[in-house]
Amino acid sequence: MSAPVFEVIRKEIEAILPRYPRKEAALLPALHIVQRKLGFIPPEGEKLVAQLLEIKPVRVREVVTFYTMFTRKPLGKYHLQVCSNLSCSLAGGESILKYLEEKLGIKAGETTPDGRFTLSTVECLGACDQSPCLMVNDDLYGQLDRAKVDELLATLE
Amino acid sequence: MNEKVLSRQFDLPHLHKIDVYLENGGYEAVRKALRLRPEEIVEEVKKASLRGRGGAGFPAGIKWSFVPRVDKPKYLCVNADEGEPGTFKDRYIMSHNPHLLIEGIIITSYAVGIHLAFIYIRGEYEKIAQRLEKAIEEARNKGFLGRNILGTGFDLEVVVHRGAGAYICGEETALLESLEGKRGHPRLKPPFPASVGLFQMPTVINNVETVANVPLIILNGADWFLSLGQPKDGGTRLFSVSGMVERPGVYELPVGTPLRKIIFDYAGGVKNGRKLKAVIPGGMSAPILLPEEIDVPMDCESVMKRGSMLGSAAIIVIDETVPIIEVLSKVTKFYSHESCGQCTPCRIGTSWIHKIVKRMASGQGRKDDLKEIERLASQIKGRTLCPLGDAAALPILAIVNKFRAELEAMLPQ
Amino acid sequence: MPKITIDGQTIEVAEGTTILKAAGQAGIDIPHLCYHPAFPPEGSCRLCLVEIEGAPKLELACATVVREGMVVKTQSEKVKEARRSVLEFLLAEHPLDCPICDKAGECQLQDYYELYGLFESRYRETKEKKEKLVRLGRHLLLDRERCIQCTRCVRFLLEITRTGELGVFERGIKSIIGFYEGEPVDNNYSGNLAEICPVGAITDLDFRFKTRRWLLDSRPSLCPLCSRNCAINIEFHRGLARIELGQRVFRIRSRENPQVNQYWICDLGRYSYRYLDENRIDRPYQLVNGRRMNLSWEKLFILLSEKIRALRIRKKTSRIVLVLNSALTNEELFLMRRLFLEELAVSRFIFCDPPEEKGDSFLLTAERVPNRRGAEKIGFDVKSREEVLGEDKIDLLLIFAAHLPEKMPLNWLSPLASQIGAKFLFASQESKLSQLVDFVAPVTPVAEKAGSFINVDGLMQSFEAALNPWGESRPEWEILVNLAREIPVNYRYFGRFNSPRAIREAMAEEKLIMSERP
Repeated sequence: MSAPVFEVIRKEIEAILPRYPRKEAALLPALHIVQRKLGFIPPEGEKLVAQLLEIKPVRVREVVTFYTMFTRKPLGKYHLQVCSNLSCSLAGGESILKYLEEKLGIKAGETTPDGRFTLSTVECLGACDQSPCLMVNDDLYGQLDRAKVDELLATLE
Repeated sequence: MNEKVLSRQFDLPHLHKIDVYLENGGYEAVRKALRLRPEEIVEEVKKASLRGRGGAGFPAGIKWSFVPRVDKPKYLCVNADEGEPGTFKDRYIMSHNPHLLIEGIIITSYAVGIHLAFIYIRGEYEKIAQRLEKAIEEARNKGFLGRNILGTGFDLEVVVHRGAGAYICGEETALLESLEGKRGHPRLKPPFPASVGLFQMPTVINNVETVANVPLIILNGADWFLSLGQPKDGGTRLFSVSGMVERPGVYELPVGTPLRKIIFDYAGGVKNGRKLKAVIPGGMSAPILLPEEIDVPMDCESVMKRGSMLGSAAIIVIDETVPIIEVLSKVTKFYSHESCGQCTPCRIGTSWIHKIVKRMASGQGRKDDLKEIERLASQIKGRTLCPLGDAAALPILAIVNKFRAELEAMLPQ
Repeated sequence: MPKITIDGQTIEVAEGTTILKAAGQAGIDIPHLCYHPAFPPEGSCRLCLVEIEGAPKLELACATVVREGMVVKTQSEKVKEARRSVLEFLLAEHPLDCPICDKAGECQLQDYYELYGLFESRYRETKEKKEKLVRLGRHLLLDRERCIQCTRCVRFLLEITRTGELGVFERGIKSIIGFYEGEPVDNNYSGNLAEICPVGAITDLDFRFKTRRWLLDSRPSLCPLCSRNCAINIEFHRGLARIELGQRVFRIRSRENPQVNQYWICDLGRYSYRYLDENRIDRPYQLVNGRRMNLSWEKLFILLSEKIRALRIRKKTSRIVLVLNSALTNEELFLMRRLFLEELAVSRFIFCDPPEEKGDSFLLTAERVPNRRGAEKIGFDVKSREEVLGEDKIDLLLIFAAHLPEKMPLNWLSPLASQIGAKFLFASQESKLSQLVDFVAPVTPVAEKAGSFINVDGLMQSFEAALNPWGESRPEWEILVNLAREIPVNYRYFGRFNSPRAIREAMAEEKLIMSERP
């Protein structure tokens, strides 16, 4: 873990602390900062956050393991989050997931050996009029079919 | 009348930019509100019968009046967690018209005496969070936020706070816990957030759509708002329609519009001309309705009388090709996955039921599975620390009850 | 003072009382798991749900404050069914470990099942598998499958020790208790976690697989290891016919005392009990040329009283030195004063208390003796006045060492030993000290006698014997009374003292307010 990126993380977290009446309240935003910079939340990240917010590391771990968006394991460059809830399923979401598993050669929950893609199933993404949907990192893609999935994967280098 | 009110301007290009918003009458409501007395605003919102649009349907004006007029810091939390499956209206509001929400926040905060407001937005809405932050910056630059707003002496800061993937954080006390930097574990009520909320201070928590309606009430009056809807349930609702319809999308319609009308007249009816099998009327937590039940007016009271709830007004349409076990599986998977794990009936009950349903779905059902599911769901109902227990139990019971024959047919006799 | 009705009984309770506490006052037990009187209500186990007339749903007894006229039912069919269902949920995901679980016999889940359950298991799915041997630090093991997520352990560490080592990780059915790697539970109150865990999730390594709860008797006592004098229960084996166990005491548990230690004891007090069964002096003996010759108590009294009489007649009781400690009871210190200081005019006494160690801000005091306040109250100067050693020859040295012979600072003894006439040691444990004296006699430690102490806050507490005396051990107060008879000294006075209670009564009569130092 290189020091410079930790300095950047530290500064970003310190910048948001004044928004909150109490430092501990910044825990979720702080963890988002760590994860955006490092791709995941390693113990060094947890300890840094704990130190800056003046809380114990165990409190950080409690939060990291509660929320599904936080990961303690590195993800692929592109995190493909396929909605597995009702409306997307009614629109064929399951077959989109299967297609992706085929194409990428991994099962949901796994990462491709070259580190490019992590495939996950998630609950409702709040875009049900565009079912079936998936998100690639922060971007939402809807109205998917095999063709669109092929198109999408082609753009993700 | 089906004139759009809240979403009237949503198709204007670049409405999210404050200059466009201002050109089109933006922030007039704030100007008007800041000339009124805070109590007047609370009374007006009460009169308008603005009910919460997050799911619980609690009258907003009454909730605001529960906040004691004490000299303590008070907070507003806008619930933008939008986790109820089938719901996407708040995404719509925040991406198309973030300034309308900001106006609503300013007016609400002024009415209750709040100087720090948080928008708790689900982590998956990152792009929308960024848009909100830009809009807040623009508003501050124009003097609508910050210190001494429009020279009235009223101060307000708005902070966008992202969640991180937990449906339970849409429950108001779990939202508070999450905003305080903790696991989203709902709190015991009483005390209620209006007296003991964020950081133990008096707090108002309102849904995005609820707050977005406030500027309209200020501009056009409570009577107008009430006239749009029903006697105890004023205004319009943004109905999220998805599933097997021709035209899924957000439909702004008067409170009380019949469900049948929304599906068939507005959303184009069942896709590919298929037959309707079932409708979820208010997000996954609302018990399912059969085709013969969809003449229900979509207002809080009427849907409740029909044994379901208006909830987040998210309508999911299911056609005859869908095996009901698929719907049941999605329901049980969702709640067992989202259970926070604090209380016994929900933590263990939702998982137990899901294990049974998974077994059924894979063809390994047992004779008494339905009876078991009903028994367990009844043991969760009314016994849990927070409403997620009922949100799981009631839909499960409705599906089993209304589709008993189809489910029984999957089991050995 | 609201009046409420519970199960037909009408009672009046203080404003702000919860239904659970009110029921307790009426003698009605409402089952509960996550609730503990030391913490605010948690409301997560849902076992304490009760019926309130007029309320649409069942409500939590632990968290609902009573209102005037409230009518509560704790035995209705609805309540019974709700309790059964909570137990059923808990047992559904609970491993069938009873045969190998240390908590059996004192497990809330077992007890409540017996009272409120008694249903057939209907769980036919696969139970969650979790780690069963998680070392929590110090003496504790966590079995995650047995855990019912009551979070008492987490809350204890947050609210009482304020060290917060444990947390809840993951979510929903996957929830587990854990700690941050490298930061296990390492505080002086960790043992309380195994006590407050309602089930066998957190167990004590010190007790693991040693015995069964139903083979133990429990008797109250006070912890003698510091000046807090926490209330404890000593749990010892009932004894098995024809089987020699070699161990009586299997554990110490805390005993509730709102004035002193609430519900807790420290690890020092909890785990230091082996001295009660190990390394004990069985019977009096004399050391002649390094060889041990057993004595009877009668013989010992005869020998000792002869020496004292001889010195008394020649008015040479100034040649007697008394070594005392602050582990002696009030009654014993009182007798020491009356018999030695006053009747026998022995002025040369010193207190040789073990050195102070680090105390904490909760229960453990720096003083590691129980009754310094008592000694002071009775008028002793508890400083170690080693100057008295040089005042005159020492013809007779009496060392009262209680359970502390290893720890008493007696470095002056070895160099002086050859110049001292007769040396008597009264202690419960064998130690190097025994080699330096002529006569050794066994005394009962606090666990084996009755008496009273005054703790660091000035609170006087009396206690009874929890265990039978080891071998021929006798309490110091009894030794002094016997000595008074043998010498003899004012036996009309001392002969009344046939129990510590009798001595306490005399102390009260004599208005024990000692401000002058002898």
